[in-house]
Amino acid sequence: MTDAGVARLVPFGDAAVLVEFDGDDEATEARVLRLAGAVERLHAADPAFGRAVPGFSSVLVPVDPLEPGVDGAMERLGQLVGEVAAQPSRELPSGPLVELPTRYGGSDGPDLDEVAALHDLRAADIVELHASVEYRVRYLGFAPGFAYLWRLPDGLATPRLATPRALVPPGSVAIAGGHTAVYPFASPGGWRLLGRTHVRIWDVTADPPALLLPGRRVRFVPVTDP
Amino acid sequence: MIEVLEPGLLTTVQDLGRPGWGHLGVPTAGAADPWSMAVANALLANAPGVAALEVTLTGPRLRAHRALDVAIAGADLRATAGGHPISPGRAVRLEPGEELTVPGPPVRGGARAYVALAGGIDVPAVLGSRSTCLGASFGGIEGRSLRAGDRLTATAGGGRTIDAWPGEPIAPRIMDRDGTVVVRVLPRPSTAPEVTSTTWIVSAASDRMGLRLDGDGRQQTGADGELPSHGVVRGTIQVPPDGRPIILHADHQPTGGYPVAGVVITADLPSLGQLAPGDRLRFERVDLTAAQAALVEQRAAWAAAVAVLRADAGWDDLWRSAGG
Repeated sequence: MTDAGVARLVPFGDAAVLVEFDGDDEATEARVLRLAGAVERLHAADPAFGRAVPGFSSVLVPVDPLEPGVDGAMERLGQLVGEVAAQPSRELPSGPLVELPTRYGGSDGPDLDEVAALHDLRAADIVELHASVEYRVRYLGFAPGFAYLWRLPDGLATPRLATPRALVPPGSVAIAGGHTAVYPFASPGGWRLLGRTHVRIWDVTADPPALLLPGRRVRFVPVTDP
Repeated sequence: MIEVLEPGLLTTVQDLGRPGWGHLGVPTAGAADPWSMAVANALLANAPGVAALEVTLTGPRLRAHRALDVAIAGADLRATAGGHPISPGRAVRLEPGEELTVPGPPVRGGARAYVALAGGIDVPAVLGSRSTCLGASFGGIEGRSLRAGDRLTATAGGGRTIDAWPGEPIAPRIMDRDGTVVVRVLPRPSTAPEVTSTTWIVSAASDRMGLRLDGDGRQQTGADGELPSHGVVRGTIQVPPDGRPIILHADHQPTGGYPVAGVVITADLPSLGQLAPGDRLRFERVDLTAAQAALVEQRAAWAAAVAVLRADAGWDDLWRSAGG
């Protein structure tokens, strides 16, 4: 069995191709990372292929609408998916570990008590659960530097707020669905806020500007001091 | 140097955007109507993608502090230069102390005008572009829209070529007889409801992130909108649970999780920047061959106009940089 059997290539308008994989497990995550890397090399060799945008279980590839066009691009990307599948390793690369000191609760995490009540737990249990595992950056989106971290421990998955906040402070550590994330700068947001970190995860003057890059590992470390 | 006396509703510095940063969550940004911006630049022999001002519905009042060639294109927002009316698709010299005003509202529809300065607006490039990223506050003038008191300088170079653009000074678009704008889409098989069988109204809640549509024909999906997020492009038609479609626009988020009903063809992306609240719109399904033919035709129209201008402005280069 090869990975290629579970990839679907679909045109996404006349200027992009979406490659979708089945499943939400580590093998899918590894395929997304490897294909994104392969598309990056293709882009460097042929600028008619744009830079890949990884998603939860997919890779979007912008292409020149006329040359090669979506149909020509589908063929080339189909080959690429096959080549990626033929690579021997199916394991996730072990990216660098980023530790984020986090103050939980109080004004830093105004939703902590409500999340605890939703799960019939104490606030301290929620903090312990959230800080107990290592997350991986699955993909970025929503805002510059906003990384979807995967995955919350069983029992901590929580729906987003019914009404988003107009303003979430920068550095807020939040959860929604099976993901956790850090808000890179002040913005509106509908995720539930558990705490706050002072680590700057987005700096447009830095190279790269985002700290939390796909494949990197993240751990939240509870602290009481700022 | 140009001084901003009044900023207008939402006036920002834009170029053709910063493709290639979606994997870090960065919107492409760039002109909402890149055709019109390229026209304004071409009139001054600027490259199509140098930074210009994007003016939204009600624009700024600007004063020149030294003689400077400027050009305007896009929607007719009742502009004046040195007290005289100036139509879209025109270039003119401002003498020291003279004002350029773009008061709006639009005369015959449209939403945005572009003001180019000979040489282009001189602001630092951030992640490869001078476009304003309003959401994350970088690019352009301190990542924000213009304020009274701002001062804009032009990069050396460029200069007025001829007075008038020999073609459409605004992104070409197709309209029904009753004024309904026709937007051509490539459908995408998904769980999203059908959007091509109804006429939509552009909502006042629309902005540079998305054109929000409303209409009697909307179908609530009831879905919770929690599909796995994937990369999306400008022109993606998302349908959230309330059934009101959103056409993703210049400042859209690079990933999204709502069902996708279709994607606007590349040739019709520039004209999306000229849709104003209250405009009527319908989607028309086309196939890939028709989408490509429309783009070839549009590029030919551009090339014909540029040939008349004898300016070295390439639509192909423009689109390559705009599309990624």
